[in-house]
Amino acid sequence: MYKYSEKDTQFLIERVDQFEKQLNRHLSGELDEDKFRSLRLRNGLYMELHAHMLRIAIPYGILSSEQLRALADVADKYDRGFGHFTTRQNIQFNWIQLPEIANLLRDLTDVGLHAIQTSGKATRNITADPLSGLTEGEIEDARPYCELIRRWFNLHPEFSWLPGKFKIAINGAKLDETALRIHDLGLRLVKNKKGELGFSVYVGGGLGAAAMVGPETASFVPVEDILSYLESTMRIYNLKGRRDHQKKLRIKFLVRELGASEFARLVDEDWQETKDDPELKLNLKELQSLKEVFALPIKPLSLDGFKDVADFNYGIWKKNNVRNHKVSGYSIVNISLTKPGAAPGDMTSEQMRVLAKLADQYSSGELRTTKRQTIVFPFVRQDQIHKLWKSLEEYGLDSPHQGTLAQIVACPGRDYCDLAKAVSIPIANRVQERFNDMNRLLDIGDLNINISGCENSCAHHHIADIGLLGMQKKGEEYYQITLAGETLHETNIGKKLGPSVSSDDIVDAVESIVNVYIDNRKKNEKFTDVFKRIGIDAFKEKVYG
Amino acid sequence: MDEIQNPTSLINKDYEEIELVTLDDWLDNFDELSKKGVGLIIEPSDDVYLIRDQLEFIELIALDFKNFDDGRGYTQAYLLSKRWNYIGEIIGVNAHLDQLQFMLRSGITTYQLLESYKGSNEEDYSNGFSLCYQAAANNNGLNLQY
Repeated sequence: MYKYSEKDTQFLIERVDQFEKQLNRHLSGELDEDKFRSLRLRNGLYMELHAHMLRIAIPYGILSSEQLRALADVADKYDRGFGHFTTRQNIQFNWIQLPEIANLLRDLTDVGLHAIQTSGKATRNITADPLSGLTEGEIEDARPYCELIRRWFNLHPEFSWLPGKFKIAINGAKLDETALRIHDLGLRLVKNKKGELGFSVYVGGGLGAAAMVGPETASFVPVEDILSYLESTMRIYNLKGRRDHQKKLRIKFLVRELGASEFARLVDEDWQETKDDPELKLNLKELQSLKEVFALPIKPLSLDGFKDVADFNYGIWKKNNVRNHKVSGYSIVNISLTKPGAAPGDMTSEQMRVLAKLADQYSSGELRTTKRQTIVFPFVRQDQIHKLWKSLEEYGLDSPHQGTLAQIVACPGRDYCDLAKAVSIPIANRVQERFNDMNRLLDIGDLNINISGCENSCAHHHIADIGLLGMQKKGEEYYQITLAGETLHETNIGKKLGPSVSSDDIVDAVESIVNVYIDNRKKNEKFTDVFKRIGIDAFKEKVYG
Repeated sequence: MDEIQNPTSLINKDYEEIELVTLDDWLDNFDELSKKGVGLIIEPSDDVYLIRDQLEFIELIALDFKNFDDGRGYTQAYLLSKRWNYIGEIIGVNAHLDQLQFMLRSGITTYQLLESYKGSNEEDYSNGFSLCYQAAANNNGLNLQY
């Protein structure tokens, strides 16, 4: 597994030292609230409803067992014994005391973890397909590129004070598990006619109040030129982005106002001046050495004659949670964190330590986080899956919800977040209670429900089959419903169903939508396909009729 | 509150006082001012591409960093210094302590801190790192990792 060098660790320590000085200046009244806000966000620190929230980066969603143990220690030592995995593959702690933050961050530097640029108006953590390197038909494993691009924009002198936050996703697979076109910038690894590797670039996607699918600004940027192209894109954004309007800071507004082709032209004009600069070429030697570090730690296995255990509950879990691996003899195991009464994405320190131990035993000490707030064990021998499941069962980590409606994605919502307009977690729990019958869940099949507590859309409700957005109406919590959002095969923003629905009625509305789907689907037809075929009115009629 | 300065002149490295004019003034009176020898004070919203071909006539350039969250000055500094090889001084005025590292690496040659930072340890913020991960206008003294 990739590990930070001593020099990288020293850099993390220097950043913590600097942040501690900033924090102390704020606490002594030397640094005013506005400036400290801008500075603390750049280090992942939010002043939340009840305490302070700290977001730790999990670059492109890859964690070692050692790192997960360190996070468990942080949860116990500085928080209330749990952490929350986010839809951008990071982890958040919600009960942090200000004076302890520097010590917390120092503890994490030992295992190469940090909070650098996990918030604020700079390049955020780069997200990637959690199955990178594991599935057949992949164009290229995105992880070495993620790492090189992550490094390049780490405290970048020119681009650390952008008009707004800047989120990048990179995908090397055919299916888009990263939702790259709803990011400020999405990179898709592609090959041109000559078989050379490069990136298609999509700029200006985003969710929130003005959800937008990012248009393509370049169909092929050679691999070695990607840093200069990214710099040119950020340069145009930095100079021309809307700084005059708080709600128009993101790059999507600039792209929309200029038009995608004009934006792309400006980027290209700038890029022509830098693309041949040898200093801006991607370091191909380093790329090669990263490819070796990221190579899978397993070899094909022959398991002739192996017959897996026949057990009803195990069978259901395996059907939902286990996926094929490109290396024979191995599987990919998804661990769902949904459980009645628990917040989606939450994990206790005990669960973290158990998963770290199991990852050591069954998955070469590696885990991955996903945008659906689940954990992936990337390389599990097929003849050990049952043993792994038994251990998961023992610790209540055997939820068979993966790929079912009950695998709900939710932000912390109004229970924790002071931006939220409505609760998310209790709604997720109520939907899970309504759909608590496994036969029914299996019958419904793969259907996503995502719940965001406000327009910031942290739970990505726009790209779910059923998206719920919390809002306030005359002091009451209401939910706007969007349907048929998707990113896997193509990117579509969910369509608004109609007037928002009260908290009391929202679970009935979800059930009505599910029933319309079940009643109308043809064999194996996905929710989005049914929606496209029968139209929105059939759903409206049942929900509002 | 920061006490924003609006300097009308700056002292250059040869201890000469250089008069500053705005970009509009410069463009409107280029013939006269380019002969006179003045410096420019550039606002974040100013388009530095307009002086790209006139750099040899400008004594020094002051970039204004008065708005803490406005990062356009870093790109202006990069363009002037690294891309267009401006050889005069690029002075960051109304500078903030916590941004010195970004300013200096983007191509600012010297700076004037806002009054409120007087007495602070500038070294902590201008030179707090041993390593950098990207090419920049000025990576002096840093280990390079890219």
